[in-house]
Amino acid sequence: MKGPSLLSDELLRHLMAVGQVDVVVGLPTLNHAATVGGVVRAAHAAFAAGLKRERTVLLNVDGGSTDGTADAVREASLVAAETLVAAQPLRTVHGISAPYHGLPGKGAALRTLFAAAELLDARAFVLLDPDVTSVTPEWVGGLARPVLREGFDYVAPVFSRAPGEGPLVTQLARPLVRAAYGRRVLEPLASELGCSVRYAAHCLTQDVWSAPFVNYGIDVWLTTTALAGGFRCAQAALGPRRQAPRAQAPSLPELLRQVVGALFACLERHQAHWVPREGAEAVETRGEPGRAEAADPPDPAPLAEAFRAGVRDLAPVLGGILEPATLEGVKAAARDEVPAFPDALWVATVVDFAAAFHGGRIHRDHLLGSLVPLYLGRVAWHLAATTGADPAGAEEAREGLCLEFERAKPELVRRWNAAGGR
Amino acid sequence: MSTDPHWYKDAVFYELHVKAYCDSTGDGIGDFEGLLTKLDHLQELGVDCVWLLPMYPSPFRDDGYDISDYLSIHPDYGSLADFRSFLAAAHDRGMKVITELVLNHTSDQHAWFQAARSSPADPKRDYYVWSDSDEKYQGVRIIFRDTERSNWAWDPVSKAHYWHRFFSHQPDLNYDNPAVREEIWQVMRHWLDQGVDGFRVDAVPYLIEREGTSCENLPETHEVLRFLRRRLDEAYEGKVLLAEANMWPEDVRPYFGDGDEFHMAFHFPIMPRMFMALRLEDRKPLVEIIERTPPIPEGCQWGIFLRNHDELTLEMVTDEERDYMYEEYARDKVARINLGIRRRLAPLLDGDRRRVELMNALLMSLPGSPIVYYGDEIGMGDNVYLGDRNGVRTPMQWSGGWNAGFSTADPERLFLPLISNAVYGYQAVNVESQRRSESSLLRWMQRLIRVRKSTRVFSRGTIEFLKPRNHRVLAYVRAHEGEAALVVNNLAGTAQAVELDLPALAGAIPIEMFGRSLFPRITEAPYVLTLGPYDFYWFRLRWL
Amino acid sequence: MADLILETLAEAWTKYLGTIRAFLPRVLATVSLVLAGWLLGLLLGFVTRKVLGWVRFDAAAERTGAAELLRRAELPPAHRLAGATVFWVVFLGFVLSGIDALGFRGVQGLMADFTRFVPRLVVAFVVLVVGLLVSNFAWRATLIAAVNAKLAPARVVAGTVRLLLVVLTVTMTLEQIGVARAVVLTAFAIAFGSVMLAIAIAVGVGASGLARRLLEEHLASRDAKGPEGLSHL
Repeated sequence: MKGPSLLSDELLRHLMAVGQVDVVVGLPTLNHAATVGGVVRAAHAAFAAGLKRERTVLLNVDGGSTDGTADAVREASLVAAETLVAAQPLRTVHGISAPYHGLPGKGAALRTLFAAAELLDARAFVLLDPDVTSVTPEWVGGLARPVLREGFDYVAPVFSRAPGEGPLVTQLARPLVRAAYGRRVLEPLASELGCSVRYAAHCLTQDVWSAPFVNYGIDVWLTTTALAGGFRCAQAALGPRRQAPRAQAPSLPELLRQVVGALFACLERHQAHWVPREGAEAVETRGEPGRAEAADPPDPAPLAEAFRAGVRDLAPVLGGILEPATLEGVKAAARDEVPAFPDALWVATVVDFAAAFHGGRIHRDHLLGSLVPLYLGRVAWHLAATTGADPAGAEEAREGLCLEFERAKPELVRRWNAAGGR
Repeated sequence: MSTDPHWYKDAVFYELHVKAYCDSTGDGIGDFEGLLTKLDHLQELGVDCVWLLPMYPSPFRDDGYDISDYLSIHPDYGSLADFRSFLAAAHDRGMKVITELVLNHTSDQHAWFQAARSSPADPKRDYYVWSDSDEKYQGVRIIFRDTERSNWAWDPVSKAHYWHRFFSHQPDLNYDNPAVREEIWQVMRHWLDQGVDGFRVDAVPYLIEREGTSCENLPETHEVLRFLRRRLDEAYEGKVLLAEANMWPEDVRPYFGDGDEFHMAFHFPIMPRMFMALRLEDRKPLVEIIERTPPIPEGCQWGIFLRNHDELTLEMVTDEERDYMYEEYARDKVARINLGIRRRLAPLLDGDRRRVELMNALLMSLPGSPIVYYGDEIGMGDNVYLGDRNGVRTPMQWSGGWNAGFSTADPERLFLPLISNAVYGYQAVNVESQRRSESSLLRWMQRLIRVRKSTRVFSRGTIEFLKPRNHRVLAYVRAHEGEAALVVNNLAGTAQAVELDLPALAGAIPIEMFGRSLFPRITEAPYVLTLGPYDFYWFRLRWL
Repeated sequence: MADLILETLAEAWTKYLGTIRAFLPRVLATVSLVLAGWLLGLLLGFVTRKVLGWVRFDAAAERTGAAELLRRAELPPAHRLAGATVFWVVFLGFVLSGIDALGFRGVQGLMADFTRFVPRLVVAFVVLVVGLLVSNFAWRATLIAAVNAKLAPARVVAGTVRLLLVVLTVTMTLEQIGVARAVVLTAFAIAFGSVMLAIAIAVGVGASGLARRLLEEHLASRDAKGPEGLSHL
């Protein structure tokens, strides 16, 4: 209990001055000068319009930005303040901007935000991503209201997606989380959320904050912890999500390593909860998800090529991960121009990889790296299958994949337990 | 309802007399049916355990402590079935109930005594302590010296003397007789089987007599108590025995045994010192008595209280202190009785809301389970002109209407008259009007109890006194299983500043418990606090 | 004449039998030592196998890739191999002692030399094993990274890396044992140097365009959209 404090003196003084609030909007930043202004303005607009009666504070914690993020936040707050005066809100609107302790990264930032929300005895906490350019004031209200008014502990966003958009979510994260944890959360990887302080306090007591995946896998951990911890979960439709391109964005192999690594690591952490669960319950949703218009669908050919080359070159490695039947299926798929990677084969692949991850037979970085070409093959097949299809058809296809994952749950459990007992 | 065997450590107790609480039959005397209708008030207050004063058949020459039948309910209060209904209703609301167990003596109207006195050959003769002369046990002090001249009384029927430490119509039972122990155990069993959760045991030090001793606190007495506790533990779980032993804390300590005698005992000496500290505006008397209190076994707990049905006893203070207390709190001699002051809490504190709040805050934050006396939650007044200690036992004031909502009988028929003056009268001070106001004492008490129960640091924690130079400030740290709370009380009627040395708590963020406001972080440097008159702070300490 | 021959023969045979008689106890000692070594080796080998099985040595071998290597080389599983190694070390030790007991002077010198040689042999063995494991690990890591970076000759690149590391390992092992030291070191230096030179020339002259494109692609800003224009999250 008496280790180094999460809260710097400066931050603590700010918190003391603000005192008890109803809603804390948390904004972690690290070199986000280009995009943070829009998010700040949207948050302040939300305070003035949708959360007029509530005591609110926008809490920006920064990991040591060198590109003028702090100035951008300040400027945006001033602009917002002028707009606010015109809107004549009932209360003083607070904004705090302070550095946080610890190594810069989402883990330390989030931990500080949760601690601050708990100290301020907030009724609801909303987390925003400073990279997003499509934030509207309704995002804050949408994520906060189910917590404030209906007593939910965790609110995940639902974004309007174009068909074919976000395959890592639609083809892997969403169906896997749904099948394993038994709840139909549409965006398990989202970096936005709304939650109660009860949930935040629970997260603070978990021993995840020094785990290796805390800086890139914290989003999926937050979602799965809420599902596994028996918290009341809901979803809020927020519209489309557009993110600014980042100079230091990870490559696809790195992205897969982070995301899938975190997904599997969370499966290990929560295995006592998900292994015995059956079925998949719906999660209450507020608002209409809507649909985004697709840009030109990407060409699946390079993906298919990468898949074929990967299967050919990585055959010796894949042999140590996939079951013989799955490997045969993958090799057969690689022989076609457009890889035939149907749901059953993809699900079997994911199950094999999950079991291999848990069994620890092959170094985890190598394991996750080997998944990349298979993932590309699946995406190629998925794009080819859904290009030109109507939205209902695309939705049906996604639902079909989810059901296939659910059907494969007993096999996943069996393989998981066998790998763990080794 | 709590299934924790040590539930009494966390419980808030409430002492009431059935006859004074609520009358449902219109005879002017409270009863169990009426009491049942008032359980919601107790539940809202946050009471965990109700302590009932004696409710047994009695000739009422000692306000019910002279019992003539251990196994029934006095007909004025209802029947055994009524009692059982009340008990069930209390349990349904998560509240426990303890009743009185008067061990030391019975009424001379009790069937046992009637049998014992009838003939020396009667099987129940040895239930009592007989002697042909009154020379035995010379030198033993007389407790009710205002009314008694000797501890022996002559019984004309059996032509022998019998021993009585209290009134002469209350012959002492003979605990050297195994049959008596067995009988008393059967009495306990009877009530425990009805569902009662424990007993407040009256007058424990006097059970056994031995020549050449003070006949108080003898080892044989402890043996009797251990016997009863053993039988209790063998047959029941989760019951509590609360000892009434008005002695210095180190003298009460033996009554906990090694955890094999009483679960709880009243801490009498704290109570007058709380009033003294307040008047002196000095923490010294209170800190001394608590630091002098010896540690007690793990499963045991002290019971602390501000007022009860008796006088504010000044037995366990020095003569100097007694004189001071009489001068400050009972200038009018009519308020004095025996060795104490027969006033309620609010009148003792001049009806000063701030002082009433501070005293209740002390009660709820010092070590021990707090016992609230009925009526003090609304600040009821008293009537010193009623005889004995009846001035603090007047009917509960529920509303400003007919008989304060206590009874539908004629006012002249009430067992005791209502308090009706303009300051404390029932029109001004009653539950109904205080329920309607968020700023009333009743609402404040509910909040206080709620905050106390939000953590175990007050009920089970250790206490460490901070001794800042400002003697008007009483500050201490309560700690339990990793949680810690800092309590700071201003005993003075004037604003105070205080510097607290808290290096051991450096790094903690104090969060005020009633409003959740954050206070500056504690550092190695002295921590400055300012308090208004009679103000107090409860801080929860967080390391984040 | 016949008597002389018989006498000489008898003398020779007596001497010979005497030598045999003198020698026999030593032979018996040797045989007993060899037998004891064989039994003790069996016992220790068995214990080793059981202990390693109990501490899940095979699982560790899987994780480090050693099991893979053994399978490829058609060797028995790790714990059996370890047990066999223990058996042979113990047995050979007793055999050497047995040979020593025979008392052949020339042989005794050889034995001393051999005993001094054993530690270096052990170290060389360790270097070989570790080197092979590292090369296998590096091969797999390079292969996966190259495939994911869409380098066309991914297998070649990975194979080359493994080959280089294996060559390095073997060279270090041979150097450790002291076999043809100068030859081995010189050959290695020449081969390694020329490979590096060849690569440098190839990259600098022949594949400059490819190199430039690779570097550009690596340093160019990448978003969550892959080069295929797809947004994965």
